[in-house]
Formats: sequence, structure tokens, C-alpha cells
Amino acid sequence: MRDIRRARIVLAVLVLISVTMILLDLRGGESGPLGPLRAVGATVIGPLERGAATVVVPVRSYIDSVANIGDKDRVIADLTVENDALRAQLDTVANDRARVADLEALLGLIDANDYVTVPAQVIAVGPAQGFAWTVTIDSGSRDGVERDMSVISGRGLVGRVISVAPATATVLLLVDATSTVGGRLAGTSQIGIVSGTGRQDVLQMQFLDPLAVINLGEVIVTFGSEGDRPYAPGIPIGTVKEMRGTEGQLTRSAIVEPYVDISVLDIVGVVLRAPERSEREPVNVTPTPTSTGGAP
Amino acid sequence: MTVRRVVLCALLIVIAVIVEVTVLAPLDFPGATPSLVLVVVAALAFAFGPTTGAACGFAAGLLLNLAPPTTATLGISSLILTVIGYALGRVFDSDTRPLMLTTLLTSGAAALSILAGAALGGLLGNPRIVWGDVPVLILTAALYAAILALLVIPVVNRLSRAFVPEAYPR
Repeated sequence: MRDIRRARIVLAVLVLISVTMILLDLRGGESGPLGPLRAVGATVIGPLERGAATVVVPVRSYIDSVANIGDKDRVIADLTVENDALRAQLDTVANDRARVADLEALLGLIDANDYVTVPAQVIAVGPAQGFAWTVTIDSGSRDGVERDMSVISGRGLVGRVISVAPATATVLLLVDATSTVGGRLAGTSQIGIVSGTGRQDVLQMQFLDPLAVINLGEVIVTFGSEGDRPYAPGIPIGTVKEMRGTEGQLTRSAIVEPYVDISVLDIVGVVLRAPERSEREPVNVTPTPTSTGGAP
Repeated sequence: MTVRRVVLCALLIVIAVIVEVTVLAPLDFPGATPSLVLVVVAALAFAFGPTTGAACGFAAGLLLNLAPPTTATLGISSLILTVIGYALGRVFDSDTRPLMLTTLLTSGAAALSILAGAALGGLLGNPRIVWGDVPVLILTAALYAAILALLVIPVVNRLSRAFVPEAYPR
């Protein structure tokens, strides 16, 4: 009987501590009274996760490669065909590209491939029952990663860094319900706000111009934030999959399919800084000596 | 509480938390992530009774809410797992522990923990909760927990008998 009484007291005390923690954490968040506890937790548990990942990741990629072994021949054949087509295109494009490069230099635009990134491996994922779409990567403050940096993969935007520990960082993925990104249609330059829905493969985009003409399949890129934080400009987000609401309606929105499939996230890059951008100068109507015959 | 018991519980809980976020969550199972942590807490509660169950639940919940990449409010998992650890330890604080019953109880606890997590999150204003997904999460969580329980509970039981024999007077 004494055991039961002791168990009840322990239960009551622990429940009380838990409730106190919830209240304290809700008040302050990261800068609140429990912030240091969180920081210590991430600093201590992060390296443990890294250690586990050194074992888990090779096994995971081995299983993936065995599972996909039948697909390999088909993939190689597809890629060869695509490669030939692209090479043919490239010859015709070379001429245009020289002109584009001139114009870009003239306008001070940047090339999306020039971002300075630090590579990172995804080592941990938040449990689905937490409803949050967040992952841990194995780069942290000692690799130069800071809060609010953009995270990209080979396909496009992944998300942004929301907290950093010495050896690890936590990334809020695009599809998280609290994630919002300024987006721009690459074709028509219509701007809007891309927000996560909490579902794995669906984003929503709210357009600022209710009369905008938007075609399905159009590419959406990031609009870019002041100082490239949290989002650097020009990173591909996804394509328009479906329109919601009719033209002229106050809230016009689109369902967007993100480029990045978060269920297969592996190696990502944290954008340390966007490429150097020269100060924009007024564009001269007359060709300048620096432009090498850009006029058609 | 002997030192050996504390060490065993701490070790199992840390391993469970790390495995859950680095192995089970990235595998992207349909529905919920299999909650190894909850199953380990349940197994420890079955092995050592309500006091240890509650303490292990609290520690595991705290660790789960601190391990990156979580963004959950600190204390929610502790609250839920403390109560589960106590309740399971209370219900089965006897020597007869048929695996069928412990598995069913663990599975039920997993389902309840999803519901409680969503309800608490909703009450506290978590904007992320997708209520439409909750039934699927509950069903899958119960299923995964039952499978894990069948594997984990006998192992934890044997470990605790081997390392902490004084908890099992003959």
C-alpha cells in the first residue's frame, strides 16, 4: 500500500512539473525561461543523432539501391535519351545564352548556381504525430550555419533553418503548416505567398493580384527576402498544379506541387550567402563597350 | 530505486528516442511514426511498476521534446507519457503478465497518446494540427505499437530480470 501512495505522489509531482513546463514554454518560446534547456538538449542530443546517422545512413542508402536495382537500366536509358535531346538543344541555345549573359550583367541579375552553400545530411526527422514537418541536418553553427538561412536541394527550395546547435541544425520544411515564402511566377512575374498545408506534397499559393492570369504548370521561384534571410531569391519552389477560385475573386489561390519530395530528402545545402550582386546601374539605351553585340 | 535500475531505464530510453527520430521517422511509414519510446516506457512500467513507469515516462517525454528537430511545446510529451507510465504500471503491477494483454494495453495507450497530443496541441493553439489526419494516425499508431510491443516487451522484461534481479523477489 505504501508503494501505491508513493507512486501517486511521484505521479502528481511529475504531472505538475510537466504542466509548469508547458506554461513556461508557451510564454517564452526560444527566448523564454526554458530556452537554455532546449539549447542544452540540442547540443547534447544532436551529436548522438549524428553518431546514429553514421550507422543508419549507409544502411538506408544500401537498402534503397537494392530496392531500385530493377529500375536502374530503365533510368539509364531514359537519361541517355534526355541527354541527347538536351545536347541538341544546347547548340541552339548557346547563341541565346551569350545574349542573356550580357543582359544579366547589364541588369545585375544573378545565376542561381552561384549560391554559396554548405552541404549537409538529413539525420533525423520529427515524428509524424507531432504534425510538424521539421528535420535535423548534420551541419551547425561551427559550419557557419545560422538561423533563417535557406536550405536547398538539387531540385529546389527545401525550407529554412529555425534553430542551430553547434553540430546540428533544425530545418522547417516548406510543407509545414507554419511555413510561408514569398513566391514569384517565373513566367509572368506575378507575386504571391506560398504557404505549407501540413500535407506532404501540397503547397498553397495566394496571389496578390486577383486578376492575374495563371497557367497550370508554371514555375514558382522565391521572391527573396531582405538580406537573403530567410529566403534567398530565385530558388525554384514548385509548379502550379491546380487553380482555386475564379478570376477576379478576392482570394485567388493555387495548389502548388513542390519540386522537393521530402520523403526522400538526403543531402541538402544551406545557403550561406547569395552570389555577390553588383549595384544596379541605370541601363543605357545605347550599347556600352562591355556588351558584346547583344542587340538582335 | 537502485542505481542499476536507473541506468537500465536511462539507457533504454535514450536509445529509443534516438532510434525513433533517426531510424523510424525517416522511413516515412504510412500514418503515424511507430512510437518506440512509448512502447519502451510501457515495457519498463510493466517490469517495474507505477513509480518507475511514471518517472520513465516523464524522462522519455522530456527527451523526446528536446531532441532535434522537434518544435513541440516542452512538457506535452512528458505529461502524456508520465500518465501512461503510471497507469500501465498500476494496471499490471502484479506477477502475471500475459504478453497478449500487455500488447493490447500498449496499443491502446499509443492510440490515446495521439488523441491526447492532438487535443492538448489544439487547446494550446498549435496551428499545425490537421484534424482530418487524426483518425488515421490513431489507427496506425495503435497497429505499430502492437507490433513493436510484441518484440520489445519480452526483451525489456528479460533485460530487467537479468540486470535488476532484486526487483523480482521470489
